[in-house]
Amino acid sequence: MQEPKVPPPTDEELDRYIRTRYALLGIDISVLPVSDPDAPMDQERLLRNGRSILREDVEVANFPIDPQLHLPQPFPAPFTAWSDVEDRP
Amino acid sequence: MSDSRIQAGGDAAASQPPPMDGPVSRRWFLSRMAWVSSAAATGTLLSKVPAVASPRGPVVTDEAFRPVLPQVPGDLTELTLSESMTLIRSGAVRPADLVNAYVDRIEAFDGIYQAYAARPSREALLEQAARVPPGGADAPLRGIGLAPKDNFYTADLLTEGGSLVFEGFQPDYDGTAVTLLRSAGGLVLGKAQMGNLAGGRAQRYGTTIPTTRNAWTPDLVDYSPGGSSSGTGTAVAARLAVAGLGTQTGGSVVGPSNAQGLTCIKPTFGRISLHGVIPLSYTRDHVGVMARDALDTAILLQVLAQPDPLDPRTLGLPPAPNYALAATAFDGERPRVRWPTRIGVWPDFLEARDEDTARLRRELVAELERTPGVRIVADLRLPDDYEALSSGALGGSHGDPTAFFIEHLRRDVRNFGDRLPRFLNGMLQSADTYVKVQQARQLLLHRMVTQLFNQCDVVLIGGSGAFDGTGLPVMGFPIGFGTDEDSGSRVPRGAVLGAGPFGEERLLAVVAAYQAVTGFHREHPADPA
Repeated sequence: MQEPKVPPPTDEELDRYIRTRYALLGIDISVLPVSDPDAPMDQERLLRNGRSILREDVEVANFPIDPQLHLPQPFPAPFTAWSDVEDRP
Repeated sequence: MSDSRIQAGGDAAASQPPPMDGPVSRRWFLSRMAWVSSAAATGTLLSKVPAVASPRGPVVTDEAFRPVLPQVPGDLTELTLSESMTLIRSGAVRPADLVNAYVDRIEAFDGIYQAYAARPSREALLEQAARVPPGGADAPLRGIGLAPKDNFYTADLLTEGGSLVFEGFQPDYDGTAVTLLRSAGGLVLGKAQMGNLAGGRAQRYGTTIPTTRNAWTPDLVDYSPGGSSSGTGTAVAARLAVAGLGTQTGGSVVGPSNAQGLTCIKPTFGRISLHGVIPLSYTRDHVGVMARDALDTAILLQVLAQPDPLDPRTLGLPPAPNYALAATAFDGERPRVRWPTRIGVWPDFLEARDEDTARLRRELVAELERTPGVRIVADLRLPDDYEALSSGALGGSHGDPTAFFIEHLRRDVRNFGDRLPRFLNGMLQSADTYVKVQQARQLLLHRMVTQLFNQCDVVLIGGSGAFDGTGLPVMGFPIGFGTDEDSGSRVPRGAVLGAGPFGEERLLAVVAAYQAVTGFHREHPADPA
């Protein structure tokens, strides 16, 4: 797997991306406290989690899977699952 | 042997028809699961149609009933589901007596246990029980009080999912699983409290303040009842219900069952309809049964394992076998597993987090090794890339819950409490990652079937993670008692047994044989002081 040649985004860049993504869909996270460990959730924890999810994309992208293997494609399957009766006990 | 569930005729075991995990084509299962991944990605599993599934006639056979009439105890809640069915069928116990016994306990103790979120009145339950005609072969659960988790839609009770997000939500129909239980004569004693949107233990909505207590430690709020099917676990363990329904996306049925000394089964993906259940992940959610022993779980599974036109994941599966028969051990020199079975031991299974559990697991393996028909496979080789495929980003389901909850997220993100990240993550996971994760699930499933279950028929595992992601069945069951390090309390410990596609009979047979010679599943906690 070829390593990326561009520098990875900073936390600040990812935070801007995350806030923009939520705002695009009309989701307001500003109603959460900025940082309050005693609150059920705050913006700081939410953004930290979001950054980790985004960075996982790299891990996933780097894992090699044969593109010919186990495609989650629509649909071989209604035909197989709903009519392939001779293959069942 | 005093257990009336043991069938005579040890040599007859060799001539049993094979269990379903043998003849079912593994290629067929694999291709079918690939379709589920793609359908989830396109949203075609969604439906807002009320459940109209109807049972296929009598589904519970005589194996579910005790061949020897049990004695009627002073406290009817001490009866198992099978014993209760038997005594009701014989007329020795009336459904109303059973209902009253459970409601009496609920009214006496649920203020402490906090197992239920919503309950019908005693009068409503007695009226429902009276409507089921006696002797009906289609109503084996007549008078049986059950505790479904609060994410199962019920037309007569609120369905709040343990969360502010669904506070006040009143469905206008029953979910298919609830429909099937009620059609079989079962009664919903109440909706069991659950972790916020099916995560963690039950809490006061919108807070992190725990509610439901572990039935074994009612005075200790910090000792977890397990999550997220917490209320169901406590209701069954504390004898506030005969049995119950949970849901499992990541261990949420086996967790509370192991924590509270229950026997449970999470069947193969698609075996029980999810229509009318608040979704979390369209590709990993399962309905599971939580009860007191292997036979009780088999009976409820039998009632629920039916195709549902409203949930395409349930269609096209092989017909459900006789689970109650599978949960009946043979009596030879000692009880034996119904079919010769290779039991694998996961490489880290004996390295438990505490010495109590490690000792109990060693004793479990030794007990199973003494069971006729069992061969222990101790040197299992894990599937290629197992760690990478079963954990981290590739083994997760980050993107699944977001789409369903967009409107709720727009309304007020604070309603999601500590679970908010789980429901926002789908907006951050890219489509290429989502596709790759679905591919990885198929790859792991393929390798579990071809590289693990070629070495063994069932496997003892420390947790259910890879089995939830791949849709493979698991059972949890009690293996003894340990000591909670913080409080010094005596608490149950459990184990998890996994199997290949449609391996439910094999799981039930092993656990039934184990329970025929052990008594952990029969112990119940003392009532609160």
